[in-house]
Amino acid sequence: MALSNKTGVFICHCGTNIAGALDVHKVVDASRALPGVAYAADYKYLCSEPGQQLILDAIKEHGLKRIVIASCSPRMHEITFRKMLKKSNINEYLLEIANIREQASWVHTDFDKATEKAIDLVRMAVAKVGKSEPLKAQAIPITKRALVIGGGIAGIQAALDIADAGHEVVLVERECSIGGRMVMLDKTFPTLDCSACISTPKMVDVSAHPNITLMTSSEVEEVQGYIGNFKVKVRKKATYVNHDICTGCGLCEEKCPFKVESDFDRGLSKRPAIYKLFPQAVPAKPVIDKDACVKLKTGKCGVCLKICPLNCIDYEDEDKTVELDIGAIVVATGYKPAKWQSMYNEYGAGRFEDVIDGLQFERLVNASGPTEGKIKRPSDGKEPETVVIVKCVGSRDPKKGHAYCSRACCMYAAKHAHQILEKLPGGRVFIFYIDIRTPGKGYEEFYDNTRKDGAVYVRGRISRIFREGDTLVCQGEDSLLGRQVRINADLVVLETAMEPAEGSADVLNMLGCAKNDDGWAQEAHPKLRPVETQVGGVFLAGVCQGPKDIPDTVAQASASAAKVIGLLNKDEMETSPMIAAVAADKCSGCGACEPICPYTAITLEKTPDREPGTGKKIERSVANVNAGLCQGCGACTVACRTGAIDLLGFRNTQILQEVDALWQ
Amino acid sequence: MTNEQKQTLMRERAAALMKDGAVSYVIGWRETRFPGKTAIFFVRDEKDADMLVWDEYTIPLTAKYLTENRWPDKKIGIFARGCDSKAINRLISDNQVERENLYIIGLPCEGKKDDRCLSCTQRDPLIYDELLWEPENATGTSETDLQRARFFRAEEVESLPTDARFAHWEDVYARCIRCYACRNVCPVCTCRECYVDMHRTGFQGKHHDAAENRVFGVTRAFHVGDRCIECGECERVCPMGLPILGQTQKIIKTIEGLAGTYEAGMDPEADSFLGKFDLDDKDTFM
Amino acid sequence: MAVDYEPKIIAFCCNWCTYTGADLAGLNRMKYPENVRVVRVPCSGRVNPQFILRAFRRGADGVMVCGCHPGDCHYSTGNYFTRRRFMLMRELLEFNGIDPRRFHARWISGSEAAKFRDTVTEVTQLIRSLGK
Repeated sequence: MALSNKTGVFICHCGTNIAGALDVHKVVDASRALPGVAYAADYKYLCSEPGQQLILDAIKEHGLKRIVIASCSPRMHEITFRKMLKKSNINEYLLEIANIREQASWVHTDFDKATEKAIDLVRMAVAKVGKSEPLKAQAIPITKRALVIGGGIAGIQAALDIADAGHEVVLVERECSIGGRMVMLDKTFPTLDCSACISTPKMVDVSAHPNITLMTSSEVEEVQGYIGNFKVKVRKKATYVNHDICTGCGLCEEKCPFKVESDFDRGLSKRPAIYKLFPQAVPAKPVIDKDACVKLKTGKCGVCLKICPLNCIDYEDEDKTVELDIGAIVVATGYKPAKWQSMYNEYGAGRFEDVIDGLQFERLVNASGPTEGKIKRPSDGKEPETVVIVKCVGSRDPKKGHAYCSRACCMYAAKHAHQILEKLPGGRVFIFYIDIRTPGKGYEEFYDNTRKDGAVYVRGRISRIFREGDTLVCQGEDSLLGRQVRINADLVVLETAMEPAEGSADVLNMLGCAKNDDGWAQEAHPKLRPVETQVGGVFLAGVCQGPKDIPDTVAQASASAAKVIGLLNKDEMETSPMIAAVAADKCSGCGACEPICPYTAITLEKTPDREPGTGKKIERSVANVNAGLCQGCGACTVACRTGAIDLLGFRNTQILQEVDALWQ
Repeated sequence: MTNEQKQTLMRERAAALMKDGAVSYVIGWRETRFPGKTAIFFVRDEKDADMLVWDEYTIPLTAKYLTENRWPDKKIGIFARGCDSKAINRLISDNQVERENLYIIGLPCEGKKDDRCLSCTQRDPLIYDELLWEPENATGTSETDLQRARFFRAEEVESLPTDARFAHWEDVYARCIRCYACRNVCPVCTCRECYVDMHRTGFQGKHHDAAENRVFGVTRAFHVGDRCIECGECERVCPMGLPILGQTQKIIKTIEGLAGTYEAGMDPEADSFLGKFDLDDKDTFM
Repeated sequence: MAVDYEPKIIAFCCNWCTYTGADLAGLNRMKYPENVRVVRVPCSGRVNPQFILRAFRRGADGVMVCGCHPGDCHYSTGNYFTRRRFMLMRELLEFNGIDPRRFHARWISGSEAAKFRDTVTEVTQLIRSLGK
């Protein structure tokens, strides 16, 4: 090896933290005697300015090539000392820390034994650093463009924040308009702002923003690459309407003779086959629903083409795939309400028209909804007098639904009750609940007011709903009073659980992101890295990570935007050089390492070579590590029998040296 | 069908393949000057096909010899019994040979005059281009039909108390001469450079003593472990006659205890035990 | 068994959990025997069973491998491989006549300082009782 092992060992007293519990001078003397050690010294506080200077001076004076510092945990000051080495001619990775504070002086009472252990720890560090090699952080370029998957309020907020910071954003939404769930809502708790009034301006901002490319009716189909360098394929579904010419005049929608159930109104109204998702849709241009359009299915009709003054209709339109270079990705795929019909047979399993879910109620009470905001029951259009609201339908019920709490339901149930009592004078509302959870600014006060408005809270679950004449009988137990309750309701609103949106598993799999048992995207750390994923460059916003309400969703979206902006502000980023590396000459291409990698950083690549012996030109498989993806866990190294794949900074030889040092 | 008739079929088939120029050579067996010992034989010429033999001593595994020529210009013909086919599957999963480079002539096996054939679970070939004769028994042998327990060698040692087990292996590895014949013959030992041959400080010390040999023995077992096809070639070729098959048998037995039925080489697409995990894997680690 | 026999035990500890837990034990000034020497690794998945063989070959009285609890791996899945590898290695060591009480794999998180202390204490006592 070209580098000599002129190792310098520096022992820190850490005041009396170390020096008080073991014999520092004995450690210095023992260090001096170790193979490869050219210099050993001690100092009161090595991490201090003069302490670091002492090391730097010794490096110069004694021509040291490698450094061992015996001090506190490397988790404390390894970075400090690496930075210090940048001021010297020693590569910052030719450094080992012997942790003689947390692992010796602080935890042992026997002075001599602690000293002996400290000497061993130094011995191990000296042996390891002797096999260390200079490492250089690699710089990978960053493509300054973000992709946001999902155009609900989370995606909108993230896109706007990133775009406002001056970076390009591509916002991909599979529906024909952005807006997501929030724009379906009527009012938002606890302030009762009109949901559309506060979200549509943001939607318009998205469409008008010079830095945002909006791709509606589009889905992400393939993601390759790594942080800063993703290659993303987006499928732009055929809309059959040329949006470059269309002005959104709406004539086609009026004249279309075929109607289907409106998803946006949750089946409470009909919409034409050529349609906008809702009047304020962004983009404000219609698309043809190919499953509903008779022209596309049978070739007979063509009314929209005839009526369109600008000739925008194109029945030959096809899906297109667009390839994008992306630096960072925000996942904002949101949620869907749980299908309570298949979970709760006792609530009629969908047989009763007047048992609706919370999102349907939002449409009923919404001024732009099917009833123009008048609360009418779906079956006969009558105004209900008694409404029963059931919370935790599918939530907090591991037997039938999910174990988790959907978090927003307590509050929107209170909001629904408030709206009913406001809009139906003389109406009665009963809310069946397990607990009331109102942690949030102004939330408890809102709930309190709802009770004062007259909402009756009954603790207990509804066990059965059945029809009796014109009404729905709700049977359940009031578990506080310990007696059966029976309410004849005109309308029942089920506040259903949130579930990961349809297809969110596909998106997460494509990105290599983990999900928990319930299918929610897994954050990198539940406390300290809540918007990052374990995949570099992929961030989470909103409900895709777990149920949350609008304020939390928006806050998280802005947080992930901040992470993206931080990343995109750099031209290139340094990756840790302590990653796996392959010695191609030793690699037999067996591929044992490949399935071990949690980041799919390892791929087998055909490499040109010559056949041993004959010299014939051949191609053989060799493992290749993608430096942008590898996080340096080293799990792959164990799968490699020949040791062809090794972890820089923790090479097999380095660890073996540590082991050997203990019994020399 | 008698062995002699089978042998004739093999000779004819090898000669025909060579004559057609369909393969560059055919790997089979021939007699040696030692009675009861056969050797691997490469039929490189049509007229040499008559040297092929098939009898109760055609024991050696043909498959490993495929690794001598990983980038053949023409297909390689190979005779394969159940054990050979498991080895070929393993070689394919380990990316060491490519299926399309092989012409496999399957030979349903009646069991040879060797201990390990008593616990064979797979006499009929799993993978082949043609079967030279019909299997006499149903494919595969259920474990209850075995004439000897599948993990017989491991169980011999398991029955000993800890100290005696230590002494047993101490004795075995004191006699080991580290010739690496066990490695050379093993169909799953296919590294470009074996870890024991590396000259720089590595996992294996160069000392030749029982302790260092033991490191070799256990490491070899671990390297082969979840991919071992239980052919027993390691033990057959050991010049010191050391009972080392138990090491890998023990690993497979342990895998079965942890994850249920497990047999390497049955399917070239199957994952190795150590190359995957199950969230609900058992452990005793607390 | 010599009265003053002090075993030397080597512990391979994951940087993100057990190593952090050991640091926390220090911070809390918890006391435990001096016999364990820690090798810091980025993940228990980095620990090659051959390291364990090497340690025993060199004369270790005991070996520990400590990682994050299943499900908590910093690298999401490393410890699941650790689990399979060492369940096999443990059996293989025992098969080779190495007392299984000399090899311990444990899941110790970054917050489980007390568990680190207790484990080190317990393993040291156990191995001390086994003798050389």
